[in-house]
Amino acid sequence: MRQLTLIWVIVAPLIAQTPQPAAAPAETASATAAEAPSPVPSAESWLTGSIDVGYRWRTDVGGSFNTYRSIVNLGSGPKLLGADFTLADPKHRAFDQIRVRANGWGDEPYQTVHVDAKKSKLYDFSADYRDIAYFDFLPSYADPLLSRGIVLNEQSFDTRRRLGSFHLDLLPGNWFIPYFAYDRDSGSGTGATTVVTDTNEFPVPNTLRDQTNLFRGGVRFELRRFHATIEQGGTTFKDDQSVFNNSVDLGNVATPVFGQRTALTDMLASYGVRGTSVYSKGLFTASATPWLDVYGQFLYSQPDTSVNYQQTATGNLLLQSQLLFYTSQQYLVSAAAKLPHTSGSLGAEIRPIRRLRIVQSWLTDRLHNAGSAASTQMLTNSGVGISLNIAALLASSLATNYSQEEIDIFYEATSKLTLRGGYRYVWGEANDVVLPPEGLMSSDQAKLRRNVGIGGVTYRPNQKITLRTDAEVAFSGGAYFRTSLYDYQKVHAQARYQALISLSLAADFTLLDNNNPVPGVNYDYRSQQESLSLFWSPLGGKFGDFQGSYTRSTLHSEIGYLVPQTLTPQTSLYRDNAHTATALFNVKLPTVEGIAPKLSAGGSFFISSGSRATSYYQPLATLWLPINKKMSLFADWRYYGYGEAFYLYEGFRTNLVTAGLRFTR
Amino acid sequence: MRSIKLAVLLLIATCVATRAQTPAALPAGYVGSETCKICHEDIYNSFLKSPHGAVETSAKRGFEGRACEACHGPAQMHTESPSAATIRNPAKLVAAAADKICLTCHLNQPTHVGRLESSHAKDQVACTSCHKVHANGPDGLVNRKPAAINEQCASCHTNVWAEFQRPNHHKLPEGAMSCVDCHNPHGSIRPAMMQTFAANEPGCLNCHGDKRGPFTFEHGPVRFEGCVACHEPHGSANPRMLARPEVRLLCLECHANLPTVNATGTIGVVPPAFHDLRSPRFQNCTVCHQKIHGSYVDRNLLR
Repeated sequence: MRQLTLIWVIVAPLIAQTPQPAAAPAETASATAAEAPSPVPSAESWLTGSIDVGYRWRTDVGGSFNTYRSIVNLGSGPKLLGADFTLADPKHRAFDQIRVRANGWGDEPYQTVHVDAKKSKLYDFSADYRDIAYFDFLPSYADPLLSRGIVLNEQSFDTRRRLGSFHLDLLPGNWFIPYFAYDRDSGSGTGATTVVTDTNEFPVPNTLRDQTNLFRGGVRFELRRFHATIEQGGTTFKDDQSVFNNSVDLGNVATPVFGQRTALTDMLASYGVRGTSVYSKGLFTASATPWLDVYGQFLYSQPDTSVNYQQTATGNLLLQSQLLFYTSQQYLVSAAAKLPHTSGSLGAEIRPIRRLRIVQSWLTDRLHNAGSAASTQMLTNSGVGISLNIAALLASSLATNYSQEEIDIFYEATSKLTLRGGYRYVWGEANDVVLPPEGLMSSDQAKLRRNVGIGGVTYRPNQKITLRTDAEVAFSGGAYFRTSLYDYQKVHAQARYQALISLSLAADFTLLDNNNPVPGVNYDYRSQQESLSLFWSPLGGKFGDFQGSYTRSTLHSEIGYLVPQTLTPQTSLYRDNAHTATALFNVKLPTVEGIAPKLSAGGSFFISSGSRATSYYQPLATLWLPINKKMSLFADWRYYGYGEAFYLYEGFRTNLVTAGLRFTR
Repeated sequence: MRSIKLAVLLLIATCVATRAQTPAALPAGYVGSETCKICHEDIYNSFLKSPHGAVETSAKRGFEGRACEACHGPAQMHTESPSAATIRNPAKLVAAAADKICLTCHLNQPTHVGRLESSHAKDQVACTSCHKVHANGPDGLVNRKPAAINEQCASCHTNVWAEFQRPNHHKLPEGAMSCVDCHNPHGSIRPAMMQTFAANEPGCLNCHGDKRGPFTFEHGPVRFEGCVACHEPHGSANPRMLARPEVRLLCLECHANLPTVNATGTIGVVPPAFHDLRSPRFQNCTVCHQKIHGSYVDRNLLR
């Protein structure tokens, strides 16, 4: 009912208006207004635009419905598929123009609305709201309960995130522009997680609820020779996750431990996380002289959080370090963390002679997180009358200082050829410490040292052809992680060719070859992608057009690791060889009794082999029947087919059919 | 005294009236936009309704009454001998020269503060590759609709767009997001021209605020290398856009250093020996280490 009301509220003004002559926008492949042509405001009409409403039917999902929901998640029902309209006030009273875009409303997984309003030299306002469904319940490849016939992803969730963003510029176009903004990001829903004890994990339901508010304001000084922006902002944050269980849960381990089965009979845990932050931003650009431009920015933020965690549990549980079975647990943690984070950059572009440009830049990013947690735990075994109190105080520190300096020289060898050469030096330190030094992480540190040579060529023999390539070759003396970039070669090449007015072609090539020869790592990584795309619009698109692309990608990763039980070396090998294609034909069909139908057909496929061989097909077809200048009928068919070579139970297939109307004004 | 005041007022009024009636003198070689309009009326009318139309009417940029020549240069020779050779066409210039024209007005704006870090600028991608200059319409000078933005980016970044056709992806093909939600095409202080959140934090946190922390016990890679340390943000065949199909390998590729002797100089210690990889309990590390992005209360990221 709410959906119908929403549709009516938006459609009514469009229907109720006196008919005015307006150009009917050309329909496109999709039924969504996101792909509809931009409505052009005219002097005659204060309201222009289009709105698409319809009804979608989904056939039964064959295969895994949970995978379908995790990947596609479109359902049946009435939908406001899209709206895109502009309100113009010819007298320019409160506004010059208000532009509204909406997409996918009516219990859809991605619901968005965007509003822009402006009045010349007075204000410029934008608002954006998104309501996104996050569902993840992929059947787990490593399901500890599968041997007992239970299929459960122990880390799954069904949540919605709601994102709002509002921005107001005052006096746009002036040299002095104050602005204010507010952003809100919230999430809520349910899920499954585990309660982890020493010898068993117990899958339990949980609720998730978090919210971040961001307030900011600043001023921009935009003058002819320089600009400065000063912004001050802050956030508030809260996270109130909770975990609960009130039934007997035997957990992942069915075998007795020391002759007893562990079980969780009652459980309640809640996080009370509260956070704030302040941040400052200073930006600066200047055209100091005709041959020198200067750029700089200083950014500082300091988020912090404080946490009160409470956990109570009953059952038959084991504290392995003391071989103590206990029947109830009370666990309290009080923790806090603070993360000052400073970033800055400074650079200059120097043009000493006409064909030569020198770009020098320096960048740094430094953060230091300090945390502490005080916990008390009371374990009781009512059967034998034992009670144990455990208190702990931990401190943590994580810090990284990253810097890079780069110089690039651009030389215009001719009016068609630009050469680029450069050098970048990257250095930094990272350390991660928890005190006292026990458990998985205790003290880790690493250094980053990298020398990078840069080269590039841009060749544009005429306006129809552009060739562009750039390459990097790097040698490292240290990296933070075993899989980080180390000694690498990176190449990117691109070509564009406008063969005819009606035909354009593009090719793209990327290569990343990364190696870390350090003994004990022996990392070998290579990824390569080649793409071809074309757009063909014969006879100026009189009968339709075609656009398509094909991409071939390969990835090979090989790295040594240690098996935890035995510390024997093993190799982790990952391969992915994929073919991806997209295509869309737009065809203008013969006119029948004044109706000029249009057909769009195409879609995409992805087929891969290797470590996770996958196929994913998304064909589609849309038929448009313009009834008159203000209304068109459309019918849209889509198919989603997903298959896994190794994880067969994850596959699914379904058809979606949508029929609807587009109202245009 | 009264007559002096009157005289001053008259003088001011005369000056104002004279200024209002007399067209501003054009610098040598310039002809003014009205002259351009005689032959290029459609472009002129469209231009005037676009955001760039302000250049024609505002004194701020110094091209009042001669906005066409702000980009095309002095047009006197072109009016005397009309041909493509006698007028500057930014579309035919090398990217740096064309950009220089745009940056005459736009350099000193916050949008361009990250320009030196921008791979677009380094790779000679001109402003006009994405922006229209004369266009009119509700989208102004650049695409605003997510689907149109994505189409524009994909026309060059074809192989990136192909990654979005993989089953697990951010919802760009669905029109719920656009490339500029995550990337700043003008350049950014963060790698890969990433957008920022709250000054200098990764733009991913604009939507994933629950992963922001700061956590009492951080997971280093999240801070040191960002989400891309484990995720393929454009799309992946692997669940949750992970870089590997099986979580244990993703973790063990880094967690492979001996706790006693760190010969590789990298971060990541091998898990204790009770992690029996033959059991499904230990094949999916996040079953226990569920707070993999960082934990508020547990050093081993267990709760």
